[in-house]
Amino acid sequence: MAAAMETVESLVAHIQALTKPEDVAQLHSLLKQSQSDEALRSQAPHLAPLLADLDPAKHSLGYLYLLDTYLYSSISREQVAAFLPSIARFLNTCSAYHIRFASDKFISVCRCFKDQVMRQQTPIQGIIPLRSAVQKLQNSSEQLTTLHSDFLLLCLLAKCYKPSLCILENDIFEAENPKDLFLFYYYGGMIYIGLKRFSKALECLHNVFTSPMANLNAIAIEAYKKYILVSLIHSGQVPPFPKYTSATAQRNLKNYAQAYLDLTTAYATGKHSEIEACIQQHIEKFQSDNNLGLVKQVLSSLSKRNIQRLTQTYLTLSLQDISNSVQLNGSKESELHVLHMIQDGEIHATINQKDGMVIFHEDPEEYKTCQMVNQMDLSIQRLMSLSKKLTAIDEHISCDPAYLTKIGRERTRYEFDDFDSVPPKYL
Amino acid sequence: MASSSSSGITFKLHPLVIVNISDHYTRLKAQTLHSGESSSCAPPSNGGTAGSAPPAPPRVFGCVIGVQRGRTVEIFNSFELLFDSKTHTLDRAFLEKKQELYKKVFPTFYILGWYSTGSDVEEADMLIHRSLMDINENPIYVLLNPAIIHSQKDLPISIYETELHVIDGNPQLIFVKSSYNIETVEAERISVDHVAHLKPSDGGSAATQLAAHLTGIHSAIKMLNSRVRVLHQYLVAMQRGEIPLDNSLLRQVLSLLRRLPAIESEKFQDEFLMEFNDTLLMTYLAMFTNCTGTMNDVVEKFNIAYDRHSRRGGRTAFI
Repeated sequence: MAAAMETVESLVAHIQALTKPEDVAQLHSLLKQSQSDEALRSQAPHLAPLLADLDPAKHSLGYLYLLDTYLYSSISREQVAAFLPSIARFLNTCSAYHIRFASDKFISVCRCFKDQVMRQQTPIQGIIPLRSAVQKLQNSSEQLTTLHSDFLLLCLLAKCYKPSLCILENDIFEAENPKDLFLFYYYGGMIYIGLKRFSKALECLHNVFTSPMANLNAIAIEAYKKYILVSLIHSGQVPPFPKYTSATAQRNLKNYAQAYLDLTTAYATGKHSEIEACIQQHIEKFQSDNNLGLVKQVLSSLSKRNIQRLTQTYLTLSLQDISNSVQLNGSKESELHVLHMIQDGEIHATINQKDGMVIFHEDPEEYKTCQMVNQMDLSIQRLMSLSKKLTAIDEHISCDPAYLTKIGRERTRYEFDDFDSVPPKYL
Repeated sequence: MASSSSSGITFKLHPLVIVNISDHYTRLKAQTLHSGESSSCAPPSNGGTAGSAPPAPPRVFGCVIGVQRGRTVEIFNSFELLFDSKTHTLDRAFLEKKQELYKKVFPTFYILGWYSTGSDVEEADMLIHRSLMDINENPIYVLLNPAIIHSQKDLPISIYETELHVIDGNPQLIFVKSSYNIETVEAERISVDHVAHLKPSDGGSAATQLAAHLTGIHSAIKMLNSRVRVLHQYLVAMQRGEIPLDNSLLRQVLSLLRRLPAIESEKFQDEFLMEFNDTLLMTYLAMFTNCTGTMNDVVEKFNIAYDRHSRRGGRTAFI
């Protein structure tokens, strides 16, 4: 017992000594070795006071190892709960360089943190620490880690969407684990729905079910259902599957989303009564999928769509006429609708209250401001970098043996002395 | 016979008239050349006395119409007239009919005079001029010189009025030359621009023309940039003391800098930014198309390589 305690103390001394960047590798190997010893694990419950000695910022790697051993040993829930603030402090202040040596341990610590926070029903506590954890773990802002989806889950549960935006707005180019990707975009889509940014939500949900998949998974199904509803709200129709959707998804998704497809056909008729009937018909399905709120929004979006259609036909229209053609009850309600739409920027119009007329305008954007120049410049830069990446991927695939085999097999049979575009070794 | 006018009337000529006259002349020239070659006697076309030998270019005749306000005569349009070479008169009935028709469309336009082609005023022109005097008491004569002289930079158009001069005791009408300005309406400016830029060689589609235009601008800006850079380096070296100070050069640079900014009104800013944004949008669109093309290729390749049940795209074995 004393011997075990000694090894732990010597380990702590080592940790405190080796703080320079060159020594980290050495420290890492030491720690890995000690991990396999039983000594550390047997002492796990008593590590708490030792951890208090170490500084998370300077001794991040050592702190991480000890913390991990402590948390996964047989300690009680209350002890973990008591330790929560220190974990939060660690996540906020640890050094990214150290962490990357032992990323899986880091992930497991964060996972434990998240579970505890969820168990305590206070997800909001975990948001800031997890966000800094995510930012420290990723090699660049384009990389997706396992922690991303945990972080978004906490934000969703806490209904606190703003902190997640900085993580969500990054374009992801690398991902390690397909499940991470699916979860990330699914939660991301839900966060955007909560923020009512439907076009971004559509993008995220779109990414889920168009990802390459060999077998159908539940996340894709749920994402597809929400996708149908959000595209009805946003643009009034559901676009067909793009050609890069996997064949599995194309064939099987529709079978699971029958109620939603019925809603789409009802929406296409443009009548309130039809849609309401359809909703009543499938109301248990919608409720069990937790989509009833979205479905109600689909209903109210119908009047918006009709008003928008009116802007394309008329220059001025009276409020009474609007309520007649859109099947609203009275000019007061149509005035309210139009006012909301003007505030949200969905249409451009002025309401003349004296004679109850609405005058529709063109888009007043005249593209003559410096801000527009900046905006365009940014978009062009983004597009250029994307284009470079795409060309790189294109070249990469062209050299891929799987691709070459398939192409080689299908080529036309030329005569013997015609040159072969695919070398025979790939066939 | 021609000396400068002293009547004090300002003439404004629209490019439409110039284009009309030149078009009339060219048409006739092409037709007589063609008829001369094929040696069939084509009926003489409007207004021209065909030369007996094909090389002699025919003269064309027509009327110019426009508005006279006070001392300003603005010539807007013109039309062709038939010329009877035997009697050396213009076809009166045709002229009246045409005048009536034009009056219906342009009620404010009057017949201001007539035009013809040639290198200089001729004797016979006075007869025609006199005959028009009953319509307009002081008609003008627009003369276009169709000979292409490459060294001459001005327009080969001259406007003549008549003045009563006493020569040898007899009051006689002689032609005096007047100066004129060119006045353009927006539509005319665009068409002249278009004609001027249309190269006879392969400047065909809009895309290549745009590319050529932008390349021109690019090289011009590049040159400007390099020159400014040279100046800048020179000034920096002067500041550091490597080159002896030259005050006259410095004064010149200062006067150059004082000329900027050339325009600084809000309206200019608006229009400038709008055009800038338009070009940016064009670049953005081009990039988009490019990127979409690449993306399409990537997706195709990916589908072929990895999708288990991909469609057999493209090539099937020929027999």
